[in-house]
Amino acid sequence: MLETLGNLGLGFSVALSPPILLYAFVGCLVGTMVGVLPGVGPLAGISLLLPATFGLDATRAIVMLAGIYYGAMYGGSTTSILMRIPGEAASVMTCIDGYAMARRGRGGAALAIAAVGSYVAGTLSVVGLMFLAPPLAAFALRFGPPEYLALLLLGLLVLAYMSSGSMLKSLAMAAFGLLLGMVGIDQMSGYFRFAYGVVELGDGLGVVPVAVGLFGVAEILATAGQPAPPEVIKPRLRELLPSRREWRESSAPIARGTLLGFLIGILPGSAHVISSFVSYAVEKRLSRRPQEFGHGAVAGVAGPESANNAATSGAMVPMLALGVPSGPIPAVMLAAMMVHGVSPGPLLIQQQPALFWGFIASMYVGNVVLLILNLPLVGLFVNILRVPYPYLYPAILVFSILGVYAVNGSVVDVWIMVAMGILGWLLRKLEFETAPIVLGLVLAPMIELSLRQSLAMSDGHYGIFVQRPIAAALLAVGLTLVLMNLYAFVRRGLDWRSRIAMAERGEDSS
Amino acid sequence: MTRRRLRAVAAAAIALFWPLSAVGQEPYPSRPITLVAPFPPGGVADLTARPVAAALERVLKNPVGVVNKTGAAGAVGMQFVATSKPDGYTLLLALSSISIIPEADKIFGRPPAFTVDQFAPIALVSADPTILVVRAESPWKTAKEFIEDAGKRPGQISYSSSGIYGTLHMAMELLSHAAGVRLRHIPTPGAGPALTAILGGHVDALASGPAVILPHVKSGKLRALAGWGDRRVAALPDVPTFKELGYPDAEFYIWAGVFAPKGTPEPVLARLREAMRGAVADAEFKAAMDKLQTPIAFKQGADFQAFFDADARRLADGVRKVGRVEDKK
Amino acid sequence: MRAERVSGTALALLAALVLEECWRLRLPLGTLANPGPAYVPAILALALLGAGALIVALGRDTTTLGAAGWREWRHALAIVAGCAFVALALERLGYRLTMALACAFLLGVVERKGPVVTALFAAGLAAGTYFVFDTLLRVPLPRGPFGL
Repeated sequence: MLETLGNLGLGFSVALSPPILLYAFVGCLVGTMVGVLPGVGPLAGISLLLPATFGLDATRAIVMLAGIYYGAMYGGSTTSILMRIPGEAASVMTCIDGYAMARRGRGGAALAIAAVGSYVAGTLSVVGLMFLAPPLAAFALRFGPPEYLALLLLGLLVLAYMSSGSMLKSLAMAAFGLLLGMVGIDQMSGYFRFAYGVVELGDGLGVVPVAVGLFGVAEILATAGQPAPPEVIKPRLRELLPSRREWRESSAPIARGTLLGFLIGILPGSAHVISSFVSYAVEKRLSRRPQEFGHGAVAGVAGPESANNAATSGAMVPMLALGVPSGPIPAVMLAAMMVHGVSPGPLLIQQQPALFWGFIASMYVGNVVLLILNLPLVGLFVNILRVPYPYLYPAILVFSILGVYAVNGSVVDVWIMVAMGILGWLLRKLEFETAPIVLGLVLAPMIELSLRQSLAMSDGHYGIFVQRPIAAALLAVGLTLVLMNLYAFVRRGLDWRSRIAMAERGEDSS
Repeated sequence: MTRRRLRAVAAAAIALFWPLSAVGQEPYPSRPITLVAPFPPGGVADLTARPVAAALERVLKNPVGVVNKTGAAGAVGMQFVATSKPDGYTLLLALSSISIIPEADKIFGRPPAFTVDQFAPIALVSADPTILVVRAESPWKTAKEFIEDAGKRPGQISYSSSGIYGTLHMAMELLSHAAGVRLRHIPTPGAGPALTAILGGHVDALASGPAVILPHVKSGKLRALAGWGDRRVAALPDVPTFKELGYPDAEFYIWAGVFAPKGTPEPVLARLREAMRGAVADAEFKAAMDKLQTPIAFKQGADFQAFFDADARRLADGVRKVGRVEDKK
Repeated sequence: MRAERVSGTALALLAALVLEECWRLRLPLGTLANPGPAYVPAILALALLGAGALIVALGRDTTTLGAAGWREWRHALAIVAGCAFVALALERLGYRLTMALACAFLLGVVERKGPVVTALFAAGLAAGTYFVFDTLLRVPLPRGPFGL
């Protein structure tokens, strides 16, 4: 423990030295600018800016990349809350309640809560990273395909909590999203599924164009033609920051989101994307006013945003402790290290203490920098909403297309975004929710791959799921939740119907 | 007013036609060159492409930029270059998968995304042999034990790969055919997850490029059994090659080479080849490749063509033997 | 036409289409122990088919299709047309020209703002975003003729 603190001191001495601090700041700034672009999230941000770091030395490059990473996450929340355009897949849940809060004039509050929640989550998870990295990483490695499948099936249960409307319609949208995830090369057999000769669809429909289209473009299509401009309550300066009640309401979700996000983030693969979805579901389940969700519940912003950020740091755990790239983002960071001659691996901590601890310290510093950058800018950002809508929405469209195009340099993505925009607009008219589509799209390929990998590992025996302790445990948890929900659903259904019946009788008599 | 308009029209005409007149007269290169890396940033192809681009830029004294066109295991970027204008301003840094993808398309009866003869090879830059690794706790201490065990228990020993028909998969397939054994293939979405799978104990073996597994072999988590190259890897001098062990057909390299679209004029190709010679000798380039722990294996002209043809034949054979995995079940 | 019937039927039709495509592409189904590439899509399509049918059957037949309020469809169509233009022209005309033209269309034609404002806004937005992202941040954006 003392040794860790001593090392941390070393790290801070590295991280707070002016040149490194400068690079961290530049990274955060650049990351925020890039993150504000709809659809360009941390992964795209780092990938796009990785070449710019090649000229720097290892520590500076890593510190700047970490800054870009965090900055992109913070920037992504801004567009989610103010314009209902997800910065990346994980921000989809913030869009829902964050934008509702912005419509009610609480946009500043939402942004502030998102910023503070992200800061707390980021800082706490870096602490977790510091002390728990090696044992957690070893645990994380034990998550193989069967465990993954069990976890993802749990993630599917989240769908039950995402709908504020008809459950059946949400399930239909989830099935649709899951089907969308089937487009592309089947990784187990090599067949191209539903790609119709378009090579760019080989990796499937990207989450980014789909999310930006379904949420952002659809919103524009629905609102631009309205005779009256969308009513946005313009907040007074005093009302920019969250009220005391809102702070109180967000503290527990932030804590829960941090823990949840961190645990999900350490798992190898892209599971960290579901951290915000799961956090939303947990908050809705534990809230005393679940009907608020979807219409501007503070917990619906605080929880997912914190989970998001914590998952980000969690994803670094296997990378730093074992040199194992647990997902695309750590892989890019690892590559950055390799380019600079730092060979990541289990011995990284011993061989390069200055780099390792400097990196950890710079994560703290980065979080502080971003908080300082973002909080005052809340007022500035909220004023964007004052721009008259006829001027605002072409700008949003330009940014959306730019963001979606920049991720892969592919016009096919832009087409997907447009098609999804039309679809999202139609679905709004027909009163379907679009968030389950994104969740399905993200989960489907992972679920299918894990299932078939597990069966390949066990040569076709389904017993593998109960023979492995972690998988069995997760499945048991899932089953319990399903049963609990069915019971509650049936009971609630009976209550609800009798209440409606009473209301109808009351109306008839009055 | 009229004179001004006349001048304006003249200026516009010159502006419009100037680029056209310059074509065919400009020395190569006179515009920025794009080196397409068909893999995402941070991957092997990308990390090799950047030093190559930087070195080429120094030699040609002309900007050379790397653009990532990702998708479909490299098919998107490769198709992009195959169909781009053959004027020498769009080049491709391809991995050995360039020979695999058209074959895979063929066995599925799809029109191929591109074909190998849509490219003109310029130079080979690196050729990493793959290394067979198993976990340190596993019972096989030598490659011989591994192969013997695989023969006794067909289909029981599992290995991960970066994707079906991918480089890591094909390496194992070549070994399986050469040694006459059957292994169980667990595809994963990339080299990273493949590594995670073996480190977590979910699969028994992995064929991987040396740079990726070196830190884990050194720290004792993985054991390297044998390599697919024609000589031992410098960083692992105790690891024999499959050739030495009596399986000469198990030869596989994850190589990276620079290609141009076919039809690029000869003088441009010659200039590029000359530039590559210079780039490979560049000190900064050597240092960068050293940092990546990727030895430079430079081949050009007839040498490269021979290497490429032999490799393509081996891989096409391998892919055909694998066939459609679903049909075999 | 009742809204729920339309949506439910549309979903069911889509599901049927997916199943038909699996058949046409001859994707192997595999077995329960060894699912093939068509296995999971087929299951999902069946689920979607079921959901669509249920929506038709259980839908509250109270809302008609028209009641949803389609007033803005012309406007939406124009925006979609603008976006489609961008998708088509982006790599042919280059980023700046395409975006400027698209913005000019949206502001000038669709929103009927004055020509000066439109021109300034369109050119400014296109050039400004290009500068920030391509020049400063080195995010490659396509160039068209005349280096635009």
